[in-house]
Amino acid sequence: MSGSKALRRFSLDIYAVGLALALALLVRLNVLPAVKW
Amino acid sequence: MATAANSTETLVFAEPTGVGRRLVALIPGLLLLAAVGYAGKFIEQTIAAYTRSHHITFPNIEYVLWAIVLGLVISNTVGVPRVFQPGVATYEFWLKAGIVLLGSRFLLGDILHLGGISLLLVGVALTLSLTFMHLLGRFFGLKPKLTSLLAIGSSICGVSAIIAAKPAIDADDEDASYAIAAILALGALSLFTFPLIGHSLHLSDKAYGLWAGLAVDNTAEATAAGALYSDAAGKVAVLAKTTRNALIGFVVLGYAIYWASQGQAQSIGNKAEFLWKKFPKFVLGFLLISLLATLGYFTKPQLTSLANLSRWAFLLTFAGVGLRTSFRELGKQGWRPFAVGAIGEIFIALVTLGLVFGADRLLHL
Repeated sequence: MSGSKALRRFSLDIYAVGLALALALLVRLNVLPAVKW
Repeated sequence: MATAANSTETLVFAEPTGVGRRLVALIPGLLLLAAVGYAGKFIEQTIAAYTRSHHITFPNIEYVLWAIVLGLVISNTVGVPRVFQPGVATYEFWLKAGIVLLGSRFLLGDILHLGGISLLLVGVALTLSLTFMHLLGRFFGLKPKLTSLLAIGSSICGVSAIIAAKPAIDADDEDASYAIAAILALGALSLFTFPLIGHSLHLSDKAYGLWAGLAVDNTAEATAAGALYSDAAGKVAVLAKTTRNALIGFVVLGYAIYWASQGQAQSIGNKAEFLWKKFPKFVLGFLLISLLATLGYFTKPQLTSLANLSRWAFLLTFAGVGLRTSFRELGKQGWRPFAVGAIGEIFIALVTLGLVFGADRLLHL
């Protein structure tokens, strides 16, 4: 299966959840510096 | 116009070329979202600093409003050039990532309490609004499937619900674009009217947030309408809207079964699979992060970082809300679907406001 076909199998929601969980993990492991606003 | 209809599902997959090239194509639009959103934040901070240093009493106008207004000015004057459109269309992706991260600011108990109240109110509002929208559609002589799309869009979840329902009830492209245009136009109007009404009625942050989450159609606009009132109201609006979104599959399934029974849509085979397919998965991510926060998985500074990441994601979203709204395109869609949508929205806003007042009295929000 090509990369683009594999990508199409997942919805936008899954990518958004994946990114958010990855960021949460990086914050938890203190890999990301404190995020300011 | 770059509507949400062509934004989310085709976000990364628009052209049959390599993944890397498609990701590169997102960069100009992403930079535009960041520039517009950050400009909104900069204007808010500059005005606040100026009024503070000159001892001027001036209400704080949130970056949310500035980002949306800047986006609206760009999209309705010079327009958004084609090169920026794929990146601008990612605004809904940032919205969903932001909502998942916002889960860190809720304890699971709060979600069960406020979410339970929201679910109860959504059930009542949904029944009343679907009935009312169908009566209106009949009165204005709209096509039945267009009325169904408008009813689903205004009572559940705006554009996403219309996109989910369109194939399920075999609706025309034209009907779907009419319904989406009407919902987007009304969403833009609600951004400016809801906070004014909320302030004039002296609604509490919780009551206002619940009202915005129950009454404003699109998740992006509901989040923005809440954030325009206050940070706390924005949080509650997201929770109420997320509860509403979770019901999308059930409503679409109901309509699909109805239109199949009329011989005007294909019947649904596996209903559980259909419900799972239509279920917004980011709701699960939101609940998972909230569960981790409740279990003490994150320290206090880490929770602050997650909340701030959520704010940055919303900043990109709000810029996108303005940039994708073109009043000229919305005007081309004709007045009748807009009229049905507008009257329906006023009805839903009043019903949900009454429900929120009742819930505030009886259930002590």
